[in-house]
Amino acid sequence: MQFQPIYEDGELLLPLIELDLAAAPSTGIITDLKRKQLLMSQLENAEHYYVFRAGQNEYMRLTVEELITFLIRVTEKKEHAASLIGYFGLQEESRVRIMHLSASKRMYVTLLRVFFAHQRALVLEEPYFYLEEQERRQFKRILDDLSQHKQILILTSNLEDAMISCDVIYRLNGSGCHPLDIRDSEEDKQEMQKQDEANITLQKVSTKRQDKVILFDPPEIDFIESVEGSILVHVGGEHYDCALTLTQLEQRLLNFGFFRCHRSYIVNLQKIREIITWTKNSYSLRLNTGQDAVVPLSRSRLQELKVLLKL
Amino acid sequence: MSISYKRVRAIFVKDYKEFSRNYALSIMLIFPIILALLFRRAGTTLPGASGFLFNSSFVLLTCFAQACLIAEEKERSTLRSLMMTPATTMDVLLGKSSLVFVMSAVVIAISSLLFGYEPVNVGAFVTGIVLSIILYTAAGTICGLFSKTLLEASLSILPVAFIFMGAPWGAVLAKDYPVFQVLDYMPSSQLVHLLSISGTGYTTADLTQPLLIILAWTVGLTIVSVVLYQKRLKDE
Repeated sequence: MQFQPIYEDGELLLPLIELDLAAAPSTGIITDLKRKQLLMSQLENAEHYYVFRAGQNEYMRLTVEELITFLIRVTEKKEHAASLIGYFGLQEESRVRIMHLSASKRMYVTLLRVFFAHQRALVLEEPYFYLEEQERRQFKRILDDLSQHKQILILTSNLEDAMISCDVIYRLNGSGCHPLDIRDSEEDKQEMQKQDEANITLQKVSTKRQDKVILFDPPEIDFIESVEGSILVHVGGEHYDCALTLTQLEQRLLNFGFFRCHRSYIVNLQKIREIITWTKNSYSLRLNTGQDAVVPLSRSRLQELKVLLKL
Repeated sequence: MSISYKRVRAIFVKDYKEFSRNYALSIMLIFPIILALLFRRAGTTLPGASGFLFNSSFVLLTCFAQACLIAEEKERSTLRSLMMTPATTMDVLLGKSSLVFVMSAVVIAISSLLFGYEPVNVGAFVTGIVLSIILYTAAGTICGLFSKTLLEASLSILPVAFIFMGAPWGAVLAKDYPVFQVLDYMPSSQLVHLLSISGTGYTTADLTQPLLIILAWTVGLTIVSVVLYQKRLKDE
């Protein structure tokens, strides 16, 4: 899959991108609205891609069963509506008209159109954006099954959404298109030095915001993330820049119940409300802060976390 | 371009369910019947009553339904999604048009029975009606293609109503304004001619001439609508 470069007012909006979709079952591109539209406009006339746009709507007056039957017939799939409805987990809603479904369910049913696509490659714009957790999980399962014999490209502006089901993630912005390293690197652990336990002194975390230096007590902090090289400390829904690296912060905060749950995340264990299991090797942590914050959890660190939490 | 009966039928069934459950649209099915009942009093003696009844039914039912079916799919961008399935343009158009055709044929049969119209030549009458339904379906397709939402579609049939329903009346003014003679060649005017033939004093030419003109319109508009349909969907 290749995208041609696009310039606007002499500025490079979209560099030349060559994606090898066959390399991984599903690829994600994190980018903004404008670039998303530019990318999709290049796929417009290609017969090889099924493009699912975020604005896609559904036949509101059909019931779920009638819609699935219609999609089977019109795409000439050799499946039975009843068994597919079972596979989609829609048995209870099968006789409900789509207009009467909840917003999240309606979007989920609309997203099922990609299941019927005959094209080799599926391109989805913000598939998880309007979905609630249960539907997210359902749809992730379907996408995982689809990725066995199809190539999937997800365009989103949300890292969290891309991480749900993408194996390879690129970030596309003004500085170009770069792969995002989401694998867990084992070397990190070795780099970790032993915490100097005797040295218990004041451990405030100093952050900067608009030229002011703000100090936080560790228990105040919800989580810390690393976004493109800069460290953001999240406190009560706001975030503040921090000059330290994640490894330094991790060592400092270890005794305060903090945990490196992901290569680019440190989370306050006291604030974890829920461990979300997307599939058997993809997890997230939900925090009980004011806002609904979700932090990714690496597979390799799950065991460690379970030991810490005495699960 | 391949046409699959299975896909056409799937689209027909889907549109039938959507249309029949959208009461704002399906109420249009009653209009020709109400009109027929209203004009029944005046009887066949009122000149032009039958022509007006049929012409307005075509616009309000056939044209309107087709325009709304297409515009609604465009509004929800389900048409774009449908274009990415194996269903071809002709499958979609045929599925929709056949639904509109069946609905119009049934409703017009009922309303002409209620109205009590007795054609001098049943064959010519049926041919004229069938051709007209196809013609107005094509006009509805064009209206639907030029509108983005359902609301726009219901307004876009106004020009069709004005031109096609008004033509027989405009042709009356032809004596004073020679320009209006053109209106006599409109399919709606020709249908009025065809319907107003009565008694036994008519020749075959009287029957075939209006039919041929309507046929020419039907073929022309159908081709235009299919070409436009393929063109406009590619542009989006």
